[in-house]
Amino acid sequence: MTNQRKLVLALTIVAATLASCGKKEEAQVEEKAVETAEATCGNVTIANMNWQSAEVIASIDKFVLSKGYGCDAELVPGDTMPTLTAMMEKGQPDVAPEAWINSVREPLKLATDEGRLHVAAEVLSDGGVEGWWIPKYIAEANPNIKTIADALNHPELFPAPEDKTKGAVYNCPAGWSCQISTGHAFTAWGAADKGFTLVDTGSSAGLDGSIAKAYERKEGWLGYYWAPTSILGKYEMVRLDPGVELDQAAWDTCNSVVDCADPKMNPWPRSEVFSVVTDRFKQAGGKAYEYLATRQLDNDSLGKLLSWMTDNQATGEAAAEYYLKNNEATWTTWVSPAAAEKIKAAL
Amino acid sequence: MNWFYTFPEMGTEALRALKKGIDFAFRDFTREYGELLERMFDPLKQFLIFSERLLTDSPWPLVILSIAVITWLASRSTKIVVGTIITLLLIGYFGMWDDTMKTVSMIFVATLTALVLGLPIGIAMSRFDRMQKVVTPTLDVMQTMPSFVYLIPVVMLLGIGKVAGLLAVVIYAIPPVIRFTNLGIRLVPEDVLEASEAFGTSVWQKMTKVQLPLALPTIMAGVNQTIMMSLSMVVIASMIGVQGLGQPVLKAIANQYFTLGIFNGLAIVGIAIIFDRASQAYGKRLQRHLEVVHG
Repeated sequence: MTNQRKLVLALTIVAATLASCGKKEEAQVEEKAVETAEATCGNVTIANMNWQSAEVIASIDKFVLSKGYGCDAELVPGDTMPTLTAMMEKGQPDVAPEAWINSVREPLKLATDEGRLHVAAEVLSDGGVEGWWIPKYIAEANPNIKTIADALNHPELFPAPEDKTKGAVYNCPAGWSCQISTGHAFTAWGAADKGFTLVDTGSSAGLDGSIAKAYERKEGWLGYYWAPTSILGKYEMVRLDPGVELDQAAWDTCNSVVDCADPKMNPWPRSEVFSVVTDRFKQAGGKAYEYLATRQLDNDSLGKLLSWMTDNQATGEAAAEYYLKNNEATWTTWVSPAAAEKIKAAL
Repeated sequence: MNWFYTFPEMGTEALRALKKGIDFAFRDFTREYGELLERMFDPLKQFLIFSERLLTDSPWPLVILSIAVITWLASRSTKIVVGTIITLLLIGYFGMWDDTMKTVSMIFVATLTALVLGLPIGIAMSRFDRMQKVVTPTLDVMQTMPSFVYLIPVVMLLGIGKVAGLLAVVIYAIPPVIRFTNLGIRLVPEDVLEASEAFGTSVWQKMTKVQLPLALPTIMAGVNQTIMMSLSMVVIASMIGVQGLGQPVLKAIANQYFTLGIFNGLAIVGIAIIFDRASQAYGKRLQRHLEVVHG
């Protein structure tokens, strides 16, 4: 390991020296940065999950960890299940900044009990909000539609793409855990008997596309979605009230399980969204771990950030810098004063 | 010397304005013409739904029998027919019958559409060099452009589901038919054409009686490629809501269900091999027949 690190350091220095033909001063700065990184934090891989809010948070983490704590931070592509499985089995990547842990509760508990993974900050303080949504213009035109049951009384407002005589409930993308819960909700509310079909959307791109298409033409749309997301920032949607109290036990044993013969009406529990960190990085990261254990965003400010990002077609990196520039009061409470100074200098 | 090290790009602001401009223009276009376009594609949608219902609602022994008869007519090979029946029985036994039928229906309509559009374009291309100069680069774009790039606008215009999926499949799978039709006709020997002209053929007779029959084995190779390529698009198409074998594959990817993925993947391979062997055997039979004629 040490040999490997020496080699990496040596190679970096060689590369830096070569580059110094043109940029002497910068090369020296780089060398220094590498040295301090070795001393305090080391390499860290951050899972860049394939949805927007996770991308922004991963980018914020990368910026803070590399500029503030001198880590050698790198973003790697990820998705909830593959990333968390890899973290449990292989200890890679080091940080999952926005892990929706509802669907992986059991294996995650096992991994945290064994000390392989650590659950850090609850990164979304409001948690994830799931449910069935309708566009705001439909809700305003039909003020009597407040609950899921109300909406299901009006199949004519939400015509299905392949059979106009029926209503459509757009399902969550294939293979996501919400596909199971949406399917059960469809059964529990008796939507099929009320003239609805459940439409497969295939991927989040398909689901988003169906919303965007409906919204641009002011057509009816009813389906599963979740916050915080830029789609909900961009297209105003109203969440339908499930109209029943949450029965957590029934949710755990039935509504979220594939083999549940007779699901009952049950609202979506608030999803808990945490940062998950590997044991290796908790040990090696030092102060950087404290940052990961404190930083937290609420859905409102995150939603605003995401809609800025969509409006400006910004990358996660640009959005992270935009956020750090404009929300100093918030993020300075997450980091040590020394790190805060370094980050301010880097902005 | 700064320009030497950093590329003189057009600037973030200008680039952003450009992207926004194109996006808004497209959005206005969808608002204006989206419904009209959707209605234009309605007959195609009805045909897709009809074809899927036909395959999924018919009793399974009847479907297997018809597919076996079609493979027999195409290949005249007992081996291929028996292989087809066994593959279909296995697919059914492992609980993938409905999904497989949905996929077969999609591939069938996609191939049909590709043939109806591709053959005339290929023939025109072989007759007019200028047309070839335009079509060839277009085909290159269609084959290499990542599907999701054009899927998003298609979904905005037509919504998710069968029609958008069919478009994606056809765009990706049509180039071989066009290319091979063009190539096959161009490869017909000059002396044969001269001979036919000597007998006083009209342009139409030359095309239907000489060029197309002689090009048929090459065209069949193109059709075979089209079927293969449309099968490989099954998973991509399912990402915009096309039902079939792609959906369980997506589910398997998202949840790392190894066995589910393998089963459905193998079902796609199974259909691919059936289509491939049958259409290749048909192509070969055509060739043999022609060789005898020109002995």
